[in-house]
Amino acid sequence: MSERTLAPVRGGAPDRPAYGPAPSNLADVLERVLDKGIVIAGDIQVNLLDIELLTVKIRLLVVSVDKAAELGIDWWRTDPMLSSEAKDRELADENERLRARLQELEASSENGQ
Amino acid sequence: MSGNARYVFAVARDLDVAELSGTHGFQGAAVEAVEHEKLAAVVCDVDLAEFGAEPLTRNLEDLAWVERVARTHNEVVWRVAAVSTCAPLRLVTVCADDESVRAKVDSLRAGLEDVLDRIEGRQEWSVKVLVAPRPAGETSPVAPATSGADYLRRKRQASDRRRDLSVEAEHIARDVHDLAHTHAVASRRLAPQDPRLTGRPETMVLNAAYLVEADEHEAFTAALHAAGEQHPSVTVEVEGPWPAYSFAVLE
Repeated sequence: MSERTLAPVRGGAPDRPAYGPAPSNLADVLERVLDKGIVIAGDIQVNLLDIELLTVKIRLLVVSVDKAAELGIDWWRTDPMLSSEAKDRELADENERLRARLQELEASSENGQ
Repeated sequence: MSGNARYVFAVARDLDVAELSGTHGFQGAAVEAVEHEKLAAVVCDVDLAEFGAEPLTRNLEDLAWVERVARTHNEVVWRVAAVSTCAPLRLVTVCADDESVRAKVDSLRAGLEDVLDRIEGRQEWSVKVLVAPRPAGETSPVAPATSGADYLRRKRQASDRRRDLSVEAEHIARDVHDLAHTHAVASRRLAPQDPRLTGRPETMVLNAAYLVEADEHEAFTAALHAAGEQHPSVTVEVEGPWPAYSFAVLE
């Protein structure tokens, strides 16, 4: 980063390389639009505590809650939209129910083999 | 519920809305700017039959809908970022009308200005480090095991080799991250993407975003390509520039 570096244009438009095509990899798009970016509470709000968006996120990652935690995918625990204490508690309950359900499913699929 | 609402894609500074002419949001709706002092919220009309609270709750369970909306949202953000300093919003931010959009932008103005200051003249780059599922050489034909002990020894060796490789890959990932970070003004490690989601067999050991000065991007990409050549056991993927999603976060 030396001789090729252009001096910033003061008072003018910043030197922007042209943006290439948007990524076609759905994972790249989703991890940004669902998990990053500015959060502004709109007038129309989906209740995340009904785990609609939450389950969508998990299902999109195609991993179970346990597997996601193992992989370090734990953003729903730190998501500011979900971080108030009461919400955390509901989320914990929801997680517990999901885990219980998962165990049931795992147990039944093992029995089935 | 019927009628229209305003879907907000991004908040931009130094936006000349004429440069967005021909950009469409959902259902062919034109993209418009709701201006508030020096900031502009980039919006389009949406039908409450699709984006109202109840249909939204239902639609977010429909993966095809989520994909379509995510891609449209992303494409609009892309256009805005190309012509302004752009802070993307998270998916499905819907306001009743322009007045409400203005009020929300106004209430968050200091934070939005901070974000825009942070990303102005900078862009996001994605760097991933991937490891092939089986190392080259392990596929070479081997004589059958001569005994149970021999079999177990081979199993142990293969497992040691795999562990060494994964430790090595972690080291490379850290080195690549450190290198990328020295060429960036900020970085953020993201969760590695699951192979079932990417549709690729490799294991992702690094998935990170870097905020890079627009005029430093050549040095950034050159350093990472060199790192990729230096480490043939992994694939180093560099993609960008992207709008600064990972750094558009209100403190």
